[in-house]
Amino acid sequence: MIKRFLSPLLSAAIVAGSLTAAAAQDKPTMGVVVKIGGIPWFNAMETGIHEKGAELGIDATMIGPTSADPALQVRAIEDLIAKGVDIIGVVPNDEAALEPVLAKAMAAGIKVVAHEGPGLSNVDWDFELASAKGFGETHAELLAQKMGGAGEYAMFVGSLTVPLHNAWADFANAYIAATYPDMKLIGERYGVAESVDDSRKTALDLMAANPGLKGFLAFGSQGPIGAGRAIEERRMIGQVHVLGPFSPGQGRKLVKSGAISGGFMWNPAEAGRVFVTMGRMLIDGVEIGEGTEITGLGVVSPDMAGKDIITDNLIAINADTVDGLADLGL
Amino acid sequence: MTKTYQKLRDLFGAEVLGLALFLIAVIVVFGVLSPRFLSGANVGSIAFQLPELGLLTLAMLVPILTGGLNLAITFTANISGLTLAWVLQMNGGVDAPTSAFVIGVIAAISVGTLAGFVMGVVIAYIGAHPILVSLAMMIFLRGLGEFLTHGGDISGFPEYVQPIGHGYFVGIPIPLLIFIVGAIVWHVMLSRTRHGFAAYMVGSNIQAAGYSGIHTKRTLTLVYTLSGTMCAIAGIIMLSRFNSVRVGHGEAYILITVLACFLGGVDPFGGFGRVMPVVLALIILQVLSSGLNLLGANQHLATAVWGLFLIGVMVIRWFWHRFAQKQY
Repeated sequence: MIKRFLSPLLSAAIVAGSLTAAAAQDKPTMGVVVKIGGIPWFNAMETGIHEKGAELGIDATMIGPTSADPALQVRAIEDLIAKGVDIIGVVPNDEAALEPVLAKAMAAGIKVVAHEGPGLSNVDWDFELASAKGFGETHAELLAQKMGGAGEYAMFVGSLTVPLHNAWADFANAYIAATYPDMKLIGERYGVAESVDDSRKTALDLMAANPGLKGFLAFGSQGPIGAGRAIEERRMIGQVHVLGPFSPGQGRKLVKSGAISGGFMWNPAEAGRVFVTMGRMLIDGVEIGEGTEITGLGVVSPDMAGKDIITDNLIAINADTVDGLADLGL
Repeated sequence: MTKTYQKLRDLFGAEVLGLALFLIAVIVVFGVLSPRFLSGANVGSIAFQLPELGLLTLAMLVPILTGGLNLAITFTANISGLTLAWVLQMNGGVDAPTSAFVIGVIAAISVGTLAGFVMGVVIAYIGAHPILVSLAMMIFLRGLGEFLTHGGDISGFPEYVQPIGHGYFVGIPIPLLIFIVGAIVWHVMLSRTRHGFAAYMVGSNIQAAGYSGIHTKRTLTLVYTLSGTMCAIAGIIMLSRFNSVRVGHGEAYILITVLACFLGGVDPFGGFGRVMPVVLALIILQVLSSGLNLLGANQHLATAVWGLFLIGVMVIRWFWHRFAQKQY
């Protein structure tokens, strides 16, 4: 009797298993742990990972935890170490929390590649498709142009513990303070931009509390979407500007209606491809140094001490480019 | 066959036996599907992942036994971890002496215990519903922690803190040892002490327990206080596993601990439930999750399998009861 009731459960597990266990055993394996699964940004990254994996002969998979909790990332990496993968890729939610488990991975002889985690020390390489300075300042300049160089603006980041988002915010604020003295930052920065709902609510609250608010700078993939929706709800299109990096497919309507004024991004699918490319280079023992050319990053000049490869591969998202980008599956 | 079954059942109880059989089934299935599942590395990975969740589940178990709930567990753990981190930072961070660590651990456990005690007093003496009180405490602790840290990390601890989260003692992971000790203490407390008996009685029927001379208010206060203490221990382990503390670490664990309790046969209305089956349920959840990860399954599928598993267990339990009643 028990068997009868257990069998559906077991068969579900078996189906899940056989789908993946069928993959070839002798190819090098790679697991990329991202911040959270099931959102468009990381879905695009997954496409890139699979694409490049097939091309370079690496059995590469992406693991997206069910919530953006660093504890879940630590567990996923522990499981990857147990699985005995050759390369681990990671897009950290919280750099400090991952250091011990990444040290464990490296001690087990696994190559570690990170993205959006320039402060990590237990990695072989961290790569960025945008420099913090370039990214922050490009956004700040566009916001200033839209706002006419004067007025109040608010700043969203993905979370107060994502150092990269905060670095962008720092550079953007510094640039505005130096170049446009008439622009004024409202409040502290708000760590809501990984959630559409939180960003929307915070934007609504801020607009209600600050009638003079003219712009939102949102660093975090869901921030511009949420703030854009808030602008649309309040019928403030054209009066309040939202800028920030986001997924074009998700924000297409909002960009076209003008609720989001624009932004810059790098291509998450490209990031996925670079993960695999770098993984391949690491297990093949290719030396990366000044002037090495890496597909997707171009000719790089890495920071050898910090193990960071920082490049500027920005693409603008606006009413003209959004359709093309969205059609790429972003 | 029937005799051995009855002997085993008498020894461990039907609940433990059923879950143990299920655990074996899960291990066999994953063992067949993936040759790596039974490797030392994977067993080690499971052994290191279990304790933090396990200790939080123990913290959740006792309030549920009294018919309540403690939603503040993860944030109590965070605040306790922060206390320890703060004491270490005050005394030189990476170079903090062992004495600072000992003081920090005492402070952390005191803070966790205090948080639990406050909840217990409000629940017992004011009579507010545990869900509301612990929710309020959760929001308070979270806000307080985020205010104090500005949402950031505190990291950089002395070398000797690491082994608590990553080290081995005679071949057994240290966090697992701490969890085993915690589980045994909880088991003894619930099955052998006056307080444990009182907790069950309060959970079954608080009025009847009161009329029979049990000091129900004191029992409830103690239950939440001890729950807070256990959270503090979990917080200390989390600190050393992540080598950092931040408010929000392990936030995703709250519902999993409730799930583990119910899987382990704890009555959601209180009064019934034991430590042993809950520990088994935890192991099953961890094995399912690690096994699916090993096969490269989607993380969301693992969550779905957990849900399916809970429903399956409830259905089996219902049939089991009917079957058992027919026999007598």
